[in-house]
Amino acid sequence: MNSTVIASERGTEGRHERLLEARSAVNSILLGKDMQVGLAFCCLLARGHLLIEDVPGVGKTTLAHAMARVIGSDYQRIQFTSDLLPADILGVSIYKREKDEFEFHPGPIFSQVILADEVNRATPKTQSALLEGMAEGQVTIENETHVLPSPFFVMATQNPLDLVGTYPLPDSQLDRFLLSFSLGYPDPAAERELLVTEDRARLLDRTSALLDPQDIKALQADCESIHVSENLLDYIQELLRETRDDRWFETGLSPRAGLALLRASRALAFLENRDFVIPEDIKNVFPALSRHRLSPTSGFSQSPEEQISELLSQVPIP
Amino acid sequence: MNDPGRNSTLWLLATLILAMSPQAISMPPLVLVTVLFPLFWRIGSELRNWKPLPALVRHGATAVALVTLFLSYGDLSGRRAAVSLLTVMLALKLMECYRIRDARLVICFSLFLCATQFLFNQGIVMPFYAGATVILALVTLTQLHRAEAWAEAWRHEGEPPAVKASLFAELSFSFRLLALAIPVSLAFFVLFPRLANPLWGIPDTTLDSKSGLSDSMSPGSIQNLFMDDSPAFRVKFSGPVPPAEQLYWRGPVFWRYDGQTWKGGFYGRNIDAADLPEPGNSAWDYSVQLEPNERKWLFALDYPASIPSDSRLTLDYQLIRRQPVIQLIQYGIVSNPDFIDTPELSAPLRFQALDLPENRNPRARDLVERWRQQFPGDAELVQRVLGHFNREPFYYSLEAPLLGTHAVDEFLFDTRTGFCEHYASTFAVMMRMAGIPARIVTGYQGGWHSERGDYLLVRQSDAHAWAEVWLQGRGWTRVDPTAAVAPLRVQQGSLGALDSPRHLLDYPWLRGLRNSADLIQQRWNDWVIEYGAGRQARLFSSFGLDYMSPVMLVSVLFLAIAVFSAIVFPVVLRIKGPGQKDPIQHAWQKFLKQLAKAGFTGLPSDGAIELAEAAALVLPSDSAAINNIARLYTRSRYAAVPPPFADLKQAVRDFRPKKNGG
Repeated sequence: MNSTVIASERGTEGRHERLLEARSAVNSILLGKDMQVGLAFCCLLARGHLLIEDVPGVGKTTLAHAMARVIGSDYQRIQFTSDLLPADILGVSIYKREKDEFEFHPGPIFSQVILADEVNRATPKTQSALLEGMAEGQVTIENETHVLPSPFFVMATQNPLDLVGTYPLPDSQLDRFLLSFSLGYPDPAAERELLVTEDRARLLDRTSALLDPQDIKALQADCESIHVSENLLDYIQELLRETRDDRWFETGLSPRAGLALLRASRALAFLENRDFVIPEDIKNVFPALSRHRLSPTSGFSQSPEEQISELLSQVPIP
Repeated sequence: MNDPGRNSTLWLLATLILAMSPQAISMPPLVLVTVLFPLFWRIGSELRNWKPLPALVRHGATAVALVTLFLSYGDLSGRRAAVSLLTVMLALKLMECYRIRDARLVICFSLFLCATQFLFNQGIVMPFYAGATVILALVTLTQLHRAEAWAEAWRHEGEPPAVKASLFAELSFSFRLLALAIPVSLAFFVLFPRLANPLWGIPDTTLDSKSGLSDSMSPGSIQNLFMDDSPAFRVKFSGPVPPAEQLYWRGPVFWRYDGQTWKGGFYGRNIDAADLPEPGNSAWDYSVQLEPNERKWLFALDYPASIPSDSRLTLDYQLIRRQPVIQLIQYGIVSNPDFIDTPELSAPLRFQALDLPENRNPRARDLVERWRQQFPGDAELVQRVLGHFNREPFYYSLEAPLLGTHAVDEFLFDTRTGFCEHYASTFAVMMRMAGIPARIVTGYQGGWHSERGDYLLVRQSDAHAWAEVWLQGRGWTRVDPTAAVAPLRVQQGSLGALDSPRHLLDYPWLRGLRNSADLIQQRWNDWVIEYGAGRQARLFSSFGLDYMSPVMLVSVLFLAIAVFSAIVFPVVLRIKGPGQKDPIQHAWQKFLKQLAKAGFTGLPSDGAIELAEAAALVLPSDSAAINNIARLYTRSRYAAVPPPFADLKQAVRDFRPKKNGG
């Protein structure tokens, strides 16, 4: 082998391997949800934020916890309740008598990984405090701007909107999340394993960090060099145009959503160990990217998911 | 396993060997060893999986090679030495060439090395040889690209993908590239500004042993040339070609004889001709195209009445050039056969023309003295000696026995078998014994007249030696004793005079074929090698353009290339016009059709990998082939560095799914 004219050109210094290891660690905690776990990592690599939406008890929090563990960054969990105030998230300035000045006490948002549990139970004012931070990477408190740490990754969970005691996130704020998915019930085999094996919480405690913030930043940078061919850009544009056709949805995907689709596809290709995007990457990431951004035209009986897969089947691959 | 990495290395070695062979042949043996060592080591390392050499060995080998090179050539400024340096360094590079980047470098330098051979040889075979090298280099570059893509794919897909490379596809690809380059290089050839004189001088210190007449003559020296059929020069007469008996092409003239070897005389070599013949009425006007021989003689018929530039005419009417002929040259000459050479012989010259070594050849001396008494007149004595050669059983043959101290005695009385140099030498010695000034002239005799090309081809095998005697009132007079022995030698050329073939492949029909084929070489010389500033100017003046400045020439050149590119590039790059299909898509459609025939139809919205997975479920026996094609297609279509298209084409061509009939 070494006598041949072969050279390994791009050095990943093992971080790519560690990334894959981290993914399988999460997979072993959250059983039978490979696709969703993949999307969660994809979201992280694409510098996006994740919205997990499902009924209580299917493992939303477990997924977020496991992610936070293996990512190995500084991690905070914020449980959203209807009486949570913006200052509880952002932090407060407290007057110090001895120094005769205000001192800023950063809130939980100043962490690299944040689990915003049940984000739709808080009031819109509190929700927007978090979401503004997610959008801008910085928060302004009393005319002072504080930069949020980097990498900055928010995983929010949300109960289905029809449950009582929730304040639905407005469309403009849903757009802050790169991807969203629901976990759904586990399949019988996975559920059986869940029942017979060890408690997930203890398993989580034993899981150690496999990546560090530097790794994540480097991996995010790696993703940006993934090649996207011209014809796949055509394909992305075709998909965007199709969503804007009013026979499907109320409003189509925005150009920002198009950019997000490109970023997420690159991240997915990177996770698949490829240095170029293929149509399947786009197709796989498209439902998670668009389901919280699109609402079906009234009068349709199909769910958004069904609508989206119907749409995908209408656009030929270039 | 078919490993494209190793494959490409073997191709690389083949290219390098082809590129360096012409140089290697003319290298000193020791230098050749320093080239062959890394080469053989690398071949062995490929075949036997030897480990790379440690740095110390590599550096040591480099130092040894450089020292050898320097010692062999003395200095490194000559053409041969410089090109040898390049060759040696390229060979040494093999010891550390393990990356694709290095391999590409070696290929590029091989191409350069191949181009340097035009410094030494501009024959018609060279472009074809260079073309073959280029083709091989292009195939190697394709192979390197394949190896790179393969390594890339392996890294990304976890297993080595199947490699299906058809040599034919790669060769045809390389030929196409070469064909594309030809019009551009033609444009460069015709239009690039030619300089009347080269900007830089090429150092003349060359060590090549080109065959040709040498500056001394001993028994056997012309015999060696006789085996060599390569052209010496070509002549175009402006009038009719003189008869064969007149075609004595004068070269080196020898005065001094030491009993074995004839050497040039001091006066003859260093003093210029006293008077130049007038081009008289019966003069011949012709131009000679002399092949490079790395010697200084220009050949002409007796006696040159004009002197080509850069050369001089010596006392004994040798035309000597100031520099050796290292590339094809052409010169025009007028010769006057009626000129009387040296009506009065001065004492020093007479002394030199009579000088003989002491105490040699007593028997011949006796014979000559006897004849001298019978024939007091010089001319009669010459006739007597020639008659002796004619009547006695003398043989004209290549198998001349070796001669000892009394060379003339032995030849005259014992062996009686020899070649033109034996006869000329013996004759001249006998003349000197008789007190008649004599000298030896070597050159070429005769030539083959090409009816179609209307030129005379003189080969090395036409080399000849004859004698000249000085007769009162007639000056130096040519006497060819060989003609007395074998008249056919002069009338039909040297080959006609022999009874037996010279070597295995020596047949008259083959010789005829070679003579006819020489027309191609002559045209090549005429149209390609001799195309210089003058020819270029004449070409343009025939279009009514009297003077083209270099800037104008270059502008026309680039215009021509731009026009060519505008026509050719859209076709080559297959820019999608209406109705024109992308070849990758075309192959994929073909594959889909095959699948449909076998009973599987995908959706247009399915990606290739999805489709392959679905198809593999329907056609499980072909799943490996299906996945391979899908993977190749995906890479070809979406990756930044696509694999060679030939792979996909071949895979689709080989795809024969079994019908999913049940």
